[in-house]
Amino acid sequence: MTGVISTRLLSSLLVVLGSSMLVFIIMYLLPGDPVLIMLDGNASSPEAIARIKSHLGLDQPFHVQFYRYFTHLLQGDFGVSRVNSDPVLPKIIEHVPATLALTLVSASVSLIVGIVLGVLSAIHRNGVIDFVARFIGLFGISMPAFWTGILLLLLFSVQLGWFPAMGSDGWKTLVLPGLTLGLVGAGFIVRMVRNTMLEVLGEPYIITLRAKGLSERAVMYRHALRNSLIPALTMMGLTIGELLSGTVVTETVFARQGIGRILADAIMSKDIPVVQGVIFFTAIIYVAVNLIVDISYSFIDPRVRRSQLKGGV
Amino acid sequence: MNKRRASKWMKFALVSATFVLVLTGCTSSKGASETGTAKAAAEGSSTVEGGELTYALATSPDSLDPGTSGYAVSHRVFRNIFDSLVSALPDGTFKPWLAESWTKSDGGQSYTFKLRQNVKFHDGTPFNAAAVKANFDHIQADPGGQAYSLLGPYASSEVIDDYTIKLNLKEPFEPLLSGLSSGFLGISSPKALQQYGEQYSKHPVGTGPFKFVKWSENDEVVLEKNADYAWGPPTADNKGASRLNKLTFKIVPEEATRIGSVQSGQVLAAETVPPQNILALKNDPNIKLEQSVTNGTAFSLYFNTKNEPFNDPKVREAIRYAVDVDSIVKTLYLGTYQRAWSSLTPGILGYDASLENSVKADAQKANQLLDELGWIKGADGIREKQGKKLTLRYVEPSPNREKRNDIAAIVQQQLKQAGVDVKLTITKDTTTLVTKGEYEIFGNSQVKADPDILRNLFRSDRVYAKGGTNYSNVNDPEIDKLLDQGYQESDPQLRKEIYAQIQQYLIKNAIVLPIYLFPYTVAHSNKVEGLKFDLLGYPQFYDVSIHK
Repeated sequence: MTGVISTRLLSSLLVVLGSSMLVFIIMYLLPGDPVLIMLDGNASSPEAIARIKSHLGLDQPFHVQFYRYFTHLLQGDFGVSRVNSDPVLPKIIEHVPATLALTLVSASVSLIVGIVLGVLSAIHRNGVIDFVARFIGLFGISMPAFWTGILLLLLFSVQLGWFPAMGSDGWKTLVLPGLTLGLVGAGFIVRMVRNTMLEVLGEPYIITLRAKGLSERAVMYRHALRNSLIPALTMMGLTIGELLSGTVVTETVFARQGIGRILADAIMSKDIPVVQGVIFFTAIIYVAVNLIVDISYSFIDPRVRRSQLKGGV
Repeated sequence: MNKRRASKWMKFALVSATFVLVLTGCTSSKGASETGTAKAAAEGSSTVEGGELTYALATSPDSLDPGTSGYAVSHRVFRNIFDSLVSALPDGTFKPWLAESWTKSDGGQSYTFKLRQNVKFHDGTPFNAAAVKANFDHIQADPGGQAYSLLGPYASSEVIDDYTIKLNLKEPFEPLLSGLSSGFLGISSPKALQQYGEQYSKHPVGTGPFKFVKWSENDEVVLEKNADYAWGPPTADNKGASRLNKLTFKIVPEEATRIGSVQSGQVLAAETVPPQNILALKNDPNIKLEQSVTNGTAFSLYFNTKNEPFNDPKVREAIRYAVDVDSIVKTLYLGTYQRAWSSLTPGILGYDASLENSVKADAQKANQLLDELGWIKGADGIREKQGKKLTLRYVEPSPNREKRNDIAAIVQQQLKQAGVDVKLTITKDTTTLVTKGEYEIFGNSQVKADPDILRNLFRSDRVYAKGGTNYSNVNDPEIDKLLDQGYQESDPQLRKEIYAQIQQYLIKNAIVLPIYLFPYTVAHSNKVEGLKFDLLGYPQFYDVSIHK
């Protein structure tokens, strides 16, 4: 088990570093001069621009900038924002909790809605419930988050006045964004759970169980559902990535604080140190979640546990 | 087959569900907004006077240090924290504020201000001549912000005595008082400037009606009442402390959310309402709309007079006839914006009203002119002359603002009708393009309360590479002379005449094509009273009170 985890940790580290490197290269290659974007059309003399450039080290060739960035990063120095000279690390740490809260709520919405609807729709295959569940699933997948968000906002905030339209203080402000983002993940999970449930229900052992006179409820929930959860969990791991990227849009729509919003602003202003920092953290969260998902397999599926104990996988 | 039918079903269901959602939204509108108000009223229950105003901003301030910021949105926030030396009246004259009186030297190269006594900054530091000098020094040390350019040919300042300060200029500069009245030259506490250093932009301290409390990034800026305030500007009804206890700016970038939070009562006011919402909100009995036209230059298309074939005024004239500005403004802004006729906005000193209705779109004239100039339509409908196609490069540097990218697209369509091929470049990153002059049409607008704004746009030495914004590359000694007279002339009547001449020149020679005037639009709850706007079109909160 520890062997598995340490190999996974090592590969996770590579993923995090690799994604940071990739982002650095993309940001470097993107058109647009960061200094001029910083000045935002405020006309400035070429001398002043050159001074700012050399101050930021932007006049150096690519490999020098790259080396400098990475050696600093490995020492835990994330640099300062080019827009307002704020240190990047504290800024991210300050905003991470808000994004984590949003991701957790929406992941829970995804899981609960996804599994419940998936199971119901498999059980009532081709019935009304199945139709509604599949519709909600399709809605979640096909609607862009900002659109769903605005619809929910118009309905639950402007018309009904149940929840605040924006802000990031208190659980009430988490409801609409959590639902918006959760529906995206739920869409994927509904489909996954429904399909695997249907597959499992066709397996010979289910027939055996039924033949032995086990109640339909026990067949469904104790046996079929349990076996359908593994793919749903895998899906959840992948969905976290979707949710993390979804926070960029959702946090902007609902005017929430969080690293998604910081990322959006930083990309607009080509604030490379901030973009880098946020991507670095997001990669860590993503990798950590997938690690947890992998480990949790062994709790659900004894076969996985056994093979892991033997040093396999 | 089955699958395809199913997916068709899905689509149908999806569309109808959306419809139902929207329809229920529409019909229940009245009752819902009532609950919204009721809720808001319950929350703020007994706050008839001395309540809290929450105001949703579309973008986040970059800095709250007036000396280094350049953004309108920052100004909206820090105007409440800082007072200025003088106050600008709508008729172009100035009244005392933190300065009790002032005299101008004979040559117009120095101003001596007598300062108001017994004024204190929020941190207890007394306001005096040394404080004013410290502010000017601070601005000179960091020439990045608007404040620096508003001071123009500033040379030095001398403390004559505790409450007298003399400001020296390198040459006469008539827009100085206008600059001094702006929030960008609001006066900071010298103690705070020193204490916070580079972090001052996050800890502003002024003498204004509100004190800074906190700024959470991407979320809100909170200000509270300065109970000791007793030096309100002459433009305000209030002279003492603000009637509001608290003033909170929420940063809400998404339009629908911003408007939605006013409708639901979560905030009491929101800025920059888009045209389609203006129409809808007009019918909402709980909400009032206020518009204030932003002053400076109208959003205009600047024709680059340097490039072939645009160096020929006749070609520019033809293009101007081919663009139907009226239909652009009506189509895009649904009657909520006015079209512009001059380079300057109507609220600015020297605006030439005689230009109104002077040039109208005329497709026939456009075609006729181009034919006469030898640009003949080819097989593809595009005009050619000596084997060269009539192609214009149109650069739009603020794509996301006020539907400016739609303007570009419509102009492209309209000019295509006239046989002109328009290549659009819609991007924020225009430096290379502008420096190399690779465009014939450039969209731009600027905010300022003085007509001297034209100097940076049309004086021959104000080319982009030298820090200017002469997008049209105007290079005419006559205009240079007028622009210089404009900022040096102290007689307001003569100044007006000078700027009228310049505006007429720009239209007569088809150098600019003014498109629209930008109305800064605020939607606020009925309970908000006394919201005013200054000459730049920025909101002022000092007179605001909240009623039931």
